[in-house]
Amino acid sequence: MSRQQAFALALGLGLAAFGCSNNPYPDADDTLRVFYTAYSEPPKTLDPQVAYSTVDHDVLSNIYETLLEYHYLKRPYQLIPGLVVDVPEAEPQPDGTVAYRFQLRRGVLFAEDPSFSLGGEGVVQRELLASDVAFGILRIADPAVNSPVLVPLSKIAGLAAFGERLQKLRDEEPGFSSLRIDEQYRRAGPATGVRATNPDRLEIVTQVPYPQILYWFAMPFTSPVPWEAVAWYDGEGGRPGFSEIAVGTGPFRLTRYDKRSRIVLDRNPDWWGARHPEWGAPSATYPTEGMPEDVARGTLDPALAGRALPFLDRIEMRLEKETIPAFAKFTQGYYDRSTIPKESFDQAVRNGALSPEMEARGMRLERAVRPGVFYLGFNMEDPVVGAAAGDRGRLLRQAMSLAVDVQEFLRIFLNDRGIPAQSPIPPGIFGYDEEYRNPFRTPDLARARALLAEAGYAGGIDPETRRPLRITFDTGDTSVQSRLRYLYFIDAWKRLGLDVELAATNYNQFRDKVRRGAYQLFMWGWVADYPDPENFLFLLWSELAQSNGGGPNTANFADPRYDALFHDMKDRGNDDRRLEQIAEMRALLEHERPWIELFHPEDYALVHGWLQGFAPMGLPVPTWKYHAVDAEARAERRTAWNRPVRWPLAAGVVLAVALLVPGIVTWRRERRA
Amino acid sequence: MALESHIAANLVAVLLVALAAFLTWRARRSRYWRERLVEIGRRRPLALALIALYAAVALLDTVSWREELPADRPGASAGLLETRSALERLFPADFQEASYSAPLADREFYGDAPLAHPGRHVLGTDILGRDVLLLTLQGARVALLVGGLTCLIAIPLALLAGIPAGWFGGRLDDLVFFVVSTLASMPSILLLIALVTAIGRGPLQVCFALAVTGWVGFCRLARGETLKIRELDYVHAARALGVSEWRILWRHVLPNLTHLVVITFVLTFSQLVLSEAVLSWLGLGLDGSWGQMIDQARDELSRDPVIGWNLGAASGALFVLILCVNRVGDAVRDVLDPRTLRERA
Amino acid sequence: MTTWLLRRLVWGALTVLGVLGFLFVLFFATAQPEDVARRAIGEKAPPEAIAQWIANHGYDRPRIWNPENPFDTMLLEHYRRMLTFDFGRSDADDVPISQRLGDGVGPSLALTVPLFLLGLPLALAASLLVAFFRETYIDRMGVVLAVVAMSISILIYILAGQYLIGVLLRWFPISGFASDPSVIARFLALPLLVGLLNGIGSDVRLYRTVFVEETNRDYVRTAFAKGAGDGRVMARHVLPNAMIPILTHEVVRIPFLFTGALLLESFFGIPGLGSITVDAIHANDFATLRVMVYLGALLFVAGQILTDLAYTLADPRVRLG
Repeated sequence: MSRQQAFALALGLGLAAFGCSNNPYPDADDTLRVFYTAYSEPPKTLDPQVAYSTVDHDVLSNIYETLLEYHYLKRPYQLIPGLVVDVPEAEPQPDGTVAYRFQLRRGVLFAEDPSFSLGGEGVVQRELLASDVAFGILRIADPAVNSPVLVPLSKIAGLAAFGERLQKLRDEEPGFSSLRIDEQYRRAGPATGVRATNPDRLEIVTQVPYPQILYWFAMPFTSPVPWEAVAWYDGEGGRPGFSEIAVGTGPFRLTRYDKRSRIVLDRNPDWWGARHPEWGAPSATYPTEGMPEDVARGTLDPALAGRALPFLDRIEMRLEKETIPAFAKFTQGYYDRSTIPKESFDQAVRNGALSPEMEARGMRLERAVRPGVFYLGFNMEDPVVGAAAGDRGRLLRQAMSLAVDVQEFLRIFLNDRGIPAQSPIPPGIFGYDEEYRNPFRTPDLARARALLAEAGYAGGIDPETRRPLRITFDTGDTSVQSRLRYLYFIDAWKRLGLDVELAATNYNQFRDKVRRGAYQLFMWGWVADYPDPENFLFLLWSELAQSNGGGPNTANFADPRYDALFHDMKDRGNDDRRLEQIAEMRALLEHERPWIELFHPEDYALVHGWLQGFAPMGLPVPTWKYHAVDAEARAERRTAWNRPVRWPLAAGVVLAVALLVPGIVTWRRERRA
Repeated sequence: MALESHIAANLVAVLLVALAAFLTWRARRSRYWRERLVEIGRRRPLALALIALYAAVALLDTVSWREELPADRPGASAGLLETRSALERLFPADFQEASYSAPLADREFYGDAPLAHPGRHVLGTDILGRDVLLLTLQGARVALLVGGLTCLIAIPLALLAGIPAGWFGGRLDDLVFFVVSTLASMPSILLLIALVTAIGRGPLQVCFALAVTGWVGFCRLARGETLKIRELDYVHAARALGVSEWRILWRHVLPNLTHLVVITFVLTFSQLVLSEAVLSWLGLGLDGSWGQMIDQARDELSRDPVIGWNLGAASGALFVLILCVNRVGDAVRDVLDPRTLRERA
Repeated sequence: MTTWLLRRLVWGALTVLGVLGFLFVLFFATAQPEDVARRAIGEKAPPEAIAQWIANHGYDRPRIWNPENPFDTMLLEHYRRMLTFDFGRSDADDVPISQRLGDGVGPSLALTVPLFLLGLPLALAASLLVAFFRETYIDRMGVVLAVVAMSISILIYILAGQYLIGVLLRWFPISGFASDPSVIARFLALPLLVGLLNGIGSDVRLYRTVFVEETNRDYVRTAFAKGAGDGRVMARHVLPNAMIPILTHEVVRIPFLFTGALLLESFFGIPGLGSITVDAIHANDFATLRVMVYLGALLFVAGQILTDLAYTLADPRVRLG
């Protein structure tokens, strides 16, 4: 038997044995309403106080709940009560601190979990208490938890001090670390600004006025966590670690966590929202109000509006590291929405609209601006492009800014998925001005050349070397996909005569260059933690400069006026004065050009017709409770779209025979001869 | 001041041509080599011609010079300097579109905007509007660089370690054997990745990493052959006559390994170029390689309609080169040494 | 015999120690712990969190020399951990690496063992066929096909296989995995097919040479001269004798079955050790990467010693030296 025949046979047997189907869910339960989605990299951790990546938040924000949430449809973002009855008001105190009183809902239960047996024999469940919220917040300050948000939340009175006391006890008192976690926290004493006064009342005090604090209560970091789960899931004796499980109060619970291939969430039968539809809680009811576009895209469908959540029984998540399989499975109907991997923006869409074939299949395209900004940054401490070069450097930055046509960039690489950025502040955030046009962000090659000449680099030539001015564009991303994007910018600067060299090293070498300050130009992105301009403008605050202890101000921008303005606006409420300050900061940035603002990204999801109630949110908040699927329509389409094509099998066999027969014939003839 | 890159590249090209000329001259002088090379040429004329074509393209792309651009060119200011290779000069200046266009199309693939060079991009253009034919041809230089430079590092390294180890034995042999078995016991692809992660991903670094993983097998072979040669009668005779050890190594051992060098070179070459493609997929490959073009297809195949010309051109060029090298490799092995190298096919 | 074994074991141990030293130089002597930390807990993490992470993971030790306590260095810690198989936790997500290995080895073996068990007979059958018809049309065509098959990059096999079989013909799922044995076959079919195609070219070419060489030996010629049938000679004389070099070639691969198939697993979504390795590469997870390389080397060295031992036991002519 030849190789070809063997293959044909194996294939034939294979096809017969496997029922000839490309369905990747052979063991699916079709009686349930299941939502199928993919994720492109395994979650790092499910610890709500630690998790900071999109996929982590996707999973855990649907399991843990927060005190506050955002309205699903209304934009700009609007806070609604989650686990609490009302969004609290700020209460300024005579001593300059500000208090917030949260009134928790009664009768909220954690999902059943064996860890609750720590609270008593046979206990599998208990009610949520204000002390659980406090416990979650205190965990942020626990050095062993290593939460990334301790610094901004240190404005809560006594939180940082709590962490220090805890560490001191652990260091000095033998045996303290082996105490149960709730006992450790009790011994370290309460934080003055986190007070559970009653089982259902929590008081938070900030040392200074900090209106943004409320946004933090809509983020997973402040989710209530039962101490039993932290104590029980210690990674010893066959139990998983706390970062590998999730015990929350939310509409779903984790039933399977093979994070390298499959994650399954099932409806939590004990969710308070489902048990108490009569409360009509905003976070447990599908909204009846939204934006005008919600009518058009069916997210205000009367079949959903006003109904009690959730609509799904199960969420099936599969790991898809490669774009091609993920997208192909979506077009075959095996995923309800196409996921767009973190960095890959190329998707199957033409010029911001669906192709006719896809439209005919009932797919929809959903887009929503994500509160983020991508930018090219200059290292302001560089002797050539930075502040040290004085006016020359500034003129050079202005010229380079004028050469970059981001509209064209968006068309080529992102299918117009994004809005050209004029300033760091994206739409939907206080201080964004739709009318504002940054004069250096409208491409103008002639003016760019004039500015370059004024800087002393006429035609891009460096008078010292009499060669094109060499600038290095540093990146730690070596993928081809990113390389092409960077080449786009480099081509643009080439038109000015500048010789920009792409130095794509691996991540460590890039970080090393950043640490040593040996970089000139880089591309970076920032997505908001919470919808406030402070969360963008701080990226240029000199106190957070990279050269000043590795802060996020990688451009090392340092301007006293900007710093003063920032210091004043950061903790201010959204008033006219704040708006003026933001405008002045924007004007500073416009002139100084530490950044070339590129674009505000848009979330861009392809959705099948059978998925309802899908609105992109762009923030780490629960969304799956609002989704619904028409499983029957899906099953029908899947069958219709996936009929196997069998004739190539027969053709293959024929081809193999055709190749082999002349061989045998000649062989016989040769032997006879 | 450091040598400018295009001048350095020109120097390398001159050196390579000189090296090739020297080797040809040496081979022509020896009857053994002349006959065998003729025999190889007789067996695989087409494959050899194609490889020569690839080499010519690569050479054309290596030779480059700088010139001042004409002031009237659109989108460029007067006095702008530009460095382009001889290969690029075969194509029109500024042979670029805004983005994708299909082979021989006169409009953009998305959006129907007219092209600057309608109907002249034989293999279409890529996402940045660059001509795919030109990119594919330029990939030949990267492929030959990967295969050639790596062999130029690995083979001398292997000879330098393998011959003395086999000849002198003892501690030296133990040391070489230790290094070789240490490197050989790590999964080669992981070793490769670890090396590139640690030393960086420039062309030289990648070739060096490939060489470190690739020299091991050849070092063993060289050592084994040296052991055999050491026991040959005329070597014993030379020793008895008092010829110095190094002179014997140079005059008797090294020439007897030449055919192994040639065979290994050809057989390793294709492996190296294929490894580079895998490295590219991991984001560790060389800029402008066919591996990177193939890697790009991961996005292009998930477009609708699919963009396939980039993938097709790169994989076609890669396939033809590897096929030719493999075919020639078979012939080289059959002609030069039908036996010793069986295990290393 | 005992001396030989002892010598062999000492060499093996030395090699493994060498591999570990090499890994230390590659991963820990060049990388800054700060970068690893930043990659692990995110760009947004403040310096305090980074320092805490570094301390939690023990990367704040001096690398090679600690004047206060010469035993408290990263180098010694590295050797201690690896040699006692105390792999610690992943740099990327703090999961115990031993647990991750346990999770990954099953799916890896589910792919690599069938690949090995199907690939070997298939390559043997095909090469025996072309060797049997040597110097004929079938032989020439077979060799050309084998060279063609080995000249195609594995990336092309994967992309084309997924597109052709999964998207156009819709025979199997494009990717995915299920550990349930009743459905595992449909997920493995495509990666197996791709893996077989990718490997068969070079194998057939190699084995054919071995077979042809064996058929040219004197005793085979004698058998032919005596009038024994072609098939009989092939089966009785050529095949058994050619198996020694072939098995040597194949046995070396067995240890690597455990480390999985890097690209196949990654593209086809099989959560095995190969895909764990690729993730570790992308995430700069040196703690995991070093374990994978170390285990690969360990298995390789052990496999070689066992192979040599098996040979000496099976064939008394093999000289021990």
